[in-house]
Amino acid sequence: MADEMDVDRDGDKETTSKPEKMFTLKKWNLVAMWSWDVECDTCAICRVQVMDACLRCQSENKQDDCVVVWGDCNHSFHNCCMSLWVKQNNRCPLCQQEWVVQRIGK
Amino acid sequence: MSRGQNPHGLKQIELDQIWDDLKSGIRSVYRRQSMTRQRYMELYTHVYNYCTSVHGQGQGAGVSGQTFPRSGGTRNKARQATGGAQFVGHELYKRIKDFLKQYLINLLKDGQDLLDEQVLQFYTRQWEDYQFSSKVLDGICAYLNRHWVRRECDEGSKGIYYIYSLALITWRDCLFKPLNKQVTNAVLKLIEKERNGETINTRLVSGVINCYVELGLNEDDPSAKGPTLGVYKDHFENPFLEDTERYYTRESMEFLRQNPVTEYMKKAEMRLKEEQKRVQTYLHESTHDVLAKVCERVLIEKHLEIFHFEFQNLLDTDKDDDLGRMYMLVSRIVDGLGELKILLETHIYTQGQAAIERCGEAALNDPKVYVTTILDVHKKYNALVITAFTNDAGFVAALDKACGRFINNNSVTKMANSTSKSPELLARYCDLLLKKSSKNPEEAELEDTLNQVMIVFKYIEDKDVFQKFYSKMLAKRLVQHMSASDDAEASMISKLKQACGFEYTSKLQRMFQDIGVSKDLNEQFKRHIQESAQEPLDIDFSIQVLSSGSWPFQQSCSFTLPVELERSFQRFTTFYSGRHSGRKLNWLYQMSKGEIVTNCFKNRYTLQASTFQMAVLLLYNGADTFTVQQLSDSTQIKLIIIQLVVWQLPIFLVFQIKKLRVNINVPMKTEVKQEQESTHKHIEEDRKLLIQAAIVRIMKMRKVLKHQQLLGEVLNQLSARFKPRVPVIKKCIDILIEKEYLERVDGQKDTYSYLA
Repeated sequence: MADEMDVDRDGDKETTSKPEKMFTLKKWNLVAMWSWDVECDTCAICRVQVMDACLRCQSENKQDDCVVVWGDCNHSFHNCCMSLWVKQNNRCPLCQQEWVVQRIGK
Repeated sequence: MSRGQNPHGLKQIELDQIWDDLKSGIRSVYRRQSMTRQRYMELYTHVYNYCTSVHGQGQGAGVSGQTFPRSGGTRNKARQATGGAQFVGHELYKRIKDFLKQYLINLLKDGQDLLDEQVLQFYTRQWEDYQFSSKVLDGICAYLNRHWVRRECDEGSKGIYYIYSLALITWRDCLFKPLNKQVTNAVLKLIEKERNGETINTRLVSGVINCYVELGLNEDDPSAKGPTLGVYKDHFENPFLEDTERYYTRESMEFLRQNPVTEYMKKAEMRLKEEQKRVQTYLHESTHDVLAKVCERVLIEKHLEIFHFEFQNLLDTDKDDDLGRMYMLVSRIVDGLGELKILLETHIYTQGQAAIERCGEAALNDPKVYVTTILDVHKKYNALVITAFTNDAGFVAALDKACGRFINNNSVTKMANSTSKSPELLARYCDLLLKKSSKNPEEAELEDTLNQVMIVFKYIEDKDVFQKFYSKMLAKRLVQHMSASDDAEASMISKLKQACGFEYTSKLQRMFQDIGVSKDLNEQFKRHIQESAQEPLDIDFSIQVLSSGSWPFQQSCSFTLPVELERSFQRFTTFYSGRHSGRKLNWLYQMSKGEIVTNCFKNRYTLQASTFQMAVLLLYNGADTFTVQQLSDSTQIKLIIIQLVVWQLPIFLVFQIKKLRVNINVPMKTEVKQEQESTHKHIEEDRKLLIQAAIVRIMKMRKVLKHQQLLGEVLNQLSARFKPRVPVIKKCIDILIEKEYLERVDGQKDTYSYLA
């Protein structure tokens, strides 16, 4: 009963304020799925999907901090995989261009 | 002390000088007459004097043992023969021996005609007296024992004993030998009387037993401590065991003929206890084990078949006490329980099958009925195993095996034509429990029920199927805010993690986290809207951002967002890209939903609708009629989906419902079914990947492996998750050969080798 009355009162207000449309929108719950904006789903260094944490972070339980890094060449890897890689070789493992960080995922 | 009075010297004392007095003293000892200390000392002194006096052919210099030249055995003999009597005693020893012999021969005359209890009375009384007196005699002859006897023994003379042992041996030869048959028979008769329920004088039995044990001295090594039990075993224990076997064979046969097995078990239990007590009260402790063995053989092992037959009856009639009794009895027999375990397993299996069959088709569609039916069976027999079978590992295994069999294969899985029906139903039961509803149980009760679910889960073979369905339903509960309790969800996930490891639940956990993150995100977004200069949103907007890869959702089809929704959509995307970088968003319109209010009817209905439905309905704000094609054109929803959407819209122009809040976003039956089918198909594909991964792991380690061994290892590795079918494994091997992970070894067609 209470429900019914609520709705009626709402309706009264709206009929006075707005022109009568057949339907009015009240509520919307949107569902989205995010993913890293990458060309290749797997990290070429550790062979784990970039959406998952790299193996090192998985074992150390730091999944939430394991983000993706993009180079100027537009290739992407786990940030922690790449930071280890550049210590030995400052080139992109996929295209051998010099590695310059374009952006880091957040 | 006597040394002072009798200093070492060359004084010569002949035996005859002391013997008469010594003999009369010994006689009074054996008559158990009271003796003063002086008298006792006198007798001791006689022996001492005799033993220390010098006899024989005179080299009297060395009296003490230390100065005696040690030499080999052969020369000892020679010296004795020539009368080397540095230690004196042989003559005295002989006379004591004769005395004892004569004493016992006389004694035997009084006892040899006695029978039964009289002979026992006689024997035990005489034995006790004799034993006591002999100990006194041993004391009187202490000096003889210490020197002459010990020396003789050291030199290896046969037939010379310490005086007490001599007394025992003389008893054995003169009294025990002629009387033991009578005595043993009398004891056995007495024991039989007691078994028949009469009260007996157990002292008579224990007296005899003590005597028999004492008589078992080690003749070869007189210095050895303790009896050897030879006499006891030969003359009492063996006949006693034979008697026991005969007695109980007869009794158990007769009893079983006249009484039910359950009564017999009580009787047998009682008899075993009685015999145990018998050993404790008047037999030697060494008899305990052999006697128990004989009793067990006769009372239990011989009737095992009857027991097995009865076991089934007892199971059928739920006689838990009797089952426990039978277990206790049969567990005493080596390997006796095997048959019972098999019977139990079969019984539980058929009971489980029958219980599920009784539910009929109800169980196929009602997860609650299905799972509780299984649990009832498990609960009942688990309790039985714990109480009646003392949680015996073998019986626990039988229970587990039976449950595993009937849970994975039963009338319901047959009806569904798939063994993965069980995990599906179990997952659906979890959904029922965890989903918001009017029937949600209390927190504690829910926790308890979830623990019960885990019992069934343990038996599920296809744990991957459960995982698939569970994650689908969890995803829905989370996205649609249908979870009854976050705590219960977390608790269930941690239970699964405990059972199957981190990997099994990592996605479930991630989903759970995403919802938490989304909650924060919504609040931040609301605050952002309030604080911004732009005008507030005109609808109640909320969003969930899930991480891809963890959720079992598919990409949405393309779609033109209605203008009414556009603004909130835009503002959110701007907000989101400001907070994160490197991310892209995909929209799951099929999961998104909202509420629309109708203005065109007498009643103002609130319609809960999917986004597609909303888009279609909102079009009617602009015009009154559309063709389906027109609807499709303006929303960019594919024609086939539009048809579905429209079909779902109830024809509310005509219906007269009382409810003002109507959910029109109900999935159709066909949709649900399709979803189930696609889930099963996904599972098949996932399994192929898991099998391939397992094969590669194994081959990487083994390098070369035969087909059968490979199959075995794959089955073993994956058994915790599911039971792969052999043809599928073969197919996976073929795929891997094609992908050049493996190759067949030349010339051996059933061997594979790994290609690095």
